[in-house]
Amino acid sequence: MPKKDYYSSRAHDLLGSIFGVFALSMLITSPWQVDTSGPDPFYKGPLIFPLIVFCLMLAGSLPSLWRLFRPSEKSSWYLDGQGKPFKTMVILGLLIIYLAGIIFIGLEVSTWLFLLIALKLVNQDSILKLTLIPVLVTLILFVIFKYFLDIWFPEPLIMEIFLE
Amino acid sequence: MFEHLHAGLLAAVSMSNLIALFFGTFVGIVVGILPGLGPMVGMVVLLPFSFAFSPDVALSLLLGVFCGGYFGGAVPAVLLRTPGVPSSLVTSFDGYPLTQKGEAQTALSAALLGSFGGGVISVVILIFLAPALAHVAASFGPPEYFAVAVFGVVLVVMAFREQFARGIMLLGLGFWFSTVGIDGTTLSERFCFGTLSMQNGLDIVPICLGLFGIGQTLILVERDIMKTNDIKLSRSTLDFSAIVKVLKYWKTLIRSGVIGTFVGLLPGTGSILASFLSYDVAKRLSKEKERFGKGTPEGCLASEAGNNAVPAGAMIPLLTLGIPGDALSAVLLGVFTINGIYPGPLLLVKEPVLISTIYISMLLINVVAFLMLIIWLRPFAMIVKVPGKLLAVVIMVISMIGIYAVNTRLFDAGVAIAMGVLGYILLRMGWPVVTLIMGVVLGEIMENRLRETLSLGDGSLGILFQRPICIFLIVLTSLIILIPFVLDIRKNIRNKKLNQF
Repeated sequence: MPKKDYYSSRAHDLLGSIFGVFALSMLITSPWQVDTSGPDPFYKGPLIFPLIVFCLMLAGSLPSLWRLFRPSEKSSWYLDGQGKPFKTMVILGLLIIYLAGIIFIGLEVSTWLFLLIALKLVNQDSILKLTLIPVLVTLILFVIFKYFLDIWFPEPLIMEIFLE
Repeated sequence: MFEHLHAGLLAAVSMSNLIALFFGTFVGIVVGILPGLGPMVGMVVLLPFSFAFSPDVALSLLLGVFCGGYFGGAVPAVLLRTPGVPSSLVTSFDGYPLTQKGEAQTALSAALLGSFGGGVISVVILIFLAPALAHVAASFGPPEYFAVAVFGVVLVVMAFREQFARGIMLLGLGFWFSTVGIDGTTLSERFCFGTLSMQNGLDIVPICLGLFGIGQTLILVERDIMKTNDIKLSRSTLDFSAIVKVLKYWKTLIRSGVIGTFVGLLPGTGSILASFLSYDVAKRLSKEKERFGKGTPEGCLASEAGNNAVPAGAMIPLLTLGIPGDALSAVLLGVFTINGIYPGPLLLVKEPVLISTIYISMLLINVVAFLMLIIWLRPFAMIVKVPGKLLAVVIMVISMIGIYAVNTRLFDAGVAIAMGVLGYILLRMGWPVVTLIMGVVLGEIMENRLRETLSLGDGSLGILFQRPICIFLIVLTSLIILIPFVLDIRKNIRNKKLNQF
């Protein structure tokens, strides 16, 4: 797809409009979200810069808002032909579960599980890769972070349940 | 100056600094060689680890990735016509035709010698130019700093002129991120949404790591990076006689290094422009113009000298004014500020040894990267065979644990995931993410300078028009914004008239 067409997709206008609506809502609500009870005059206070910033964002989003509600005849929602990001969303979901997993089953098990499932999902099917890489990476991370850097990781909740 | 350079040399050759420098350069070359990753991903992944070290060692580690990435990018550009970093695209114009003729050694020699020469020349310019610029900037007050910051930001946004409105939105979003948490001046709470975690603000590390580390790897998960078994290298190391052969283009080397440094000095211009400009000038002034594009070592040399001079060039405004020229130097600015060091004209006076260590480290990085690639050329070239999706998954895990390790807060890892989603969307849609990073890094500086300027002017920005440097910068900034738009309007009118005929 030519560069000009790529950038004229309505998906860009939608994203720009989302930013615009966000900026407008923040602009309206910011006096309540910023503590302005201090003695400083407005120009020295904590609210002036955020207000300028939201006005800037809103101004930048106006062309997108205009195009979203008044689309030209040639405009379409076609973006890049790369399809819907299902696999990416699944990996992203796994990443969130992985974070929760660190709390529930600990760093080592959750890292090993995440790598195993994610590698399988991205078609790294060879048995060698699926067995070696998760174990190796988990081991390296354990050695670097727990052994050398002495970083504290949450005690796995599952262990507490078993110990009780 | 020379006593500081001597002290810097001693600090630079300390064991910890040398290990960091070697490791950073190695990682830089690897991520530079791998298309789709690049030095930014390498830097943000190593960012959490850098906090375990002193500032000079941390900076050597990250500068190693920064400079090493540009070295590495030339290898796949020459061998496979797939640039590892975008700016190496120009290197492939002549590098790949030479490889097809069976002269890969000559092309790689020219590219690597160009990278080395460009890097060294730019560091030498940095050593002499930074104090001069810092001397001028020493007389700056808050209004001047504010004007310089606005000038830098405008240059970056205008670099993406075709996406001006998007650049403005992302810049604003970055500024907003920088305001979240407790305001440093008034200790007021801002945009914490009633949560305790938000009171610490949004750290630059999870933002950068999320946007570039996780965002880029999510892109890699869904796209196949080119894989090949067709690597045409006659030997596993670089042929020394081929390096000697390309030394005859020494004038092109020096010229391209100087061009790259000055392009790098301007915020927002970047390494792609540096390599294009160096290549174009080399072509115009060459005695063998007709060979350009068909396979001449001079083209590879010019392009690589241009793009590898950019890191040191970008360090000039960063060190002297505290204004980063691109996303990579914005991350470096983050490292400085997290360590309580604030770049600006006083930095050269307050921390002369640290600055000298940076200079010497940058010189050493160029030597190390050059030697690494000479000796381990084939092993490095083979890295392109590693599946990108496998790397993406591993990088995600390292990023998540690294980000947690900085403050041992899972909240930061959550922020990184949220930024990863944003980064994925923006990168996939081709929006200028650089402006977002610039906003995050410069937000606090801009806000503080604005409030100081307003305080000096009793609430009025009129004070900006009472200072000659500010007036000069305002006029320059206005011209940078207006001239392209006026030229566009003129072009459109001319096109319309032509269409009528």
